Amino acid sequence: MAGTTTTNAGAHHQQHHNRPSFDLTQFWQDEMTTTQTSVPNFRTHPLPLARIKKVMKTDPEVKMISAEAPILFAKACETFIAELTKRAWVHAEESKRRTLLRSDIAMGISKTDMCDFLIDIVPRMEATDASKVEFHF
Amino acid sequence: MSSDNERSGPTGDDELSLPKATVMKLINEMMPSDIVCSKEARDLLIDSCVEFIHLIASESNEIADRETKKTIAGEHVISALKELGFEDYVEDVEEVYKEHRQQQKDRDKRSSRLEKTGISEEELLRQQELLFEQSRLKFEAHH
Repeated sequence: MAGTTTTNAGAHHQQHHNRPSFDLTQFWQDEMTTTQTSVPNFRTHPLPLARIKKVMKTDPEVKMISAEAPILFAKACETFIAELTKRAWVHAEESKRRTLLRSDIAMGISKTDMCDFLIDIVPRMEATDASKVEFHF
Repeated sequence: MSSDNERSGPTGDDELSLPKATVMKLINEMMPSDIVCSKEARDLLIDSCVEFIHLIASESNEIADRETKKTIAGEHVISALKELGFEDYVEDVEEVYKEHRQQQKDRDKRSSRLEKTGISEEELLRQQELLFEQSRLKFEAHH
């Protein structure tokens, strides 16, 4: 994955004078390449499976969970975090910042169609006051 | 304030959340080395991810129900992702699923191979100790 981001950063610096070079299509192509070429290690997952399982079981409706389910969730979560992080990066770049702020994440979320489910945890105010205030909750 | 709405509370490094250090590491791996993520941004990502898990888990559960299955299986998770607009994630997730199933197969093959030899566990342990001893002797001979 480190290789993927280095490539993007390289492309970015060349186009710095135009606009942020975040390309969603490229993002997915890179993800596929990484998945196909890198050797996955299943004995160590970045995100702890037990924790993921606990979060799942917070829902009283959720019954038994197969052994493979948390593993698939871990991958989906990684991809989810990757997508939101890169979308936030676009906004940080637009403000010529090297630090990802909470408002960058909020902005990225508000512009992502399938993130409507996050409307409760991201007050719209956060996204619009991006340049002014850092909200702390 | 309803008591069963704990999950929308502030991010804590507790059981209902994801480990902060791990997520920060993940974020840093995804970004160029000169990009820094603030703790508040990381916490919002964690909260979002937890909501994401709830969303997909709930949908997976419903899908399993529809098929009158009592356990949420990999297929249900994949269907849930498709149903909720995360089709782009499916290829990656299916790849992980495939590798997991292959690992399981290899594991089962290995254990059944040992069973097939018909050798008792004590005998197998004895043979293993023998091999260890042999390699120990070889190691000591060269040092």
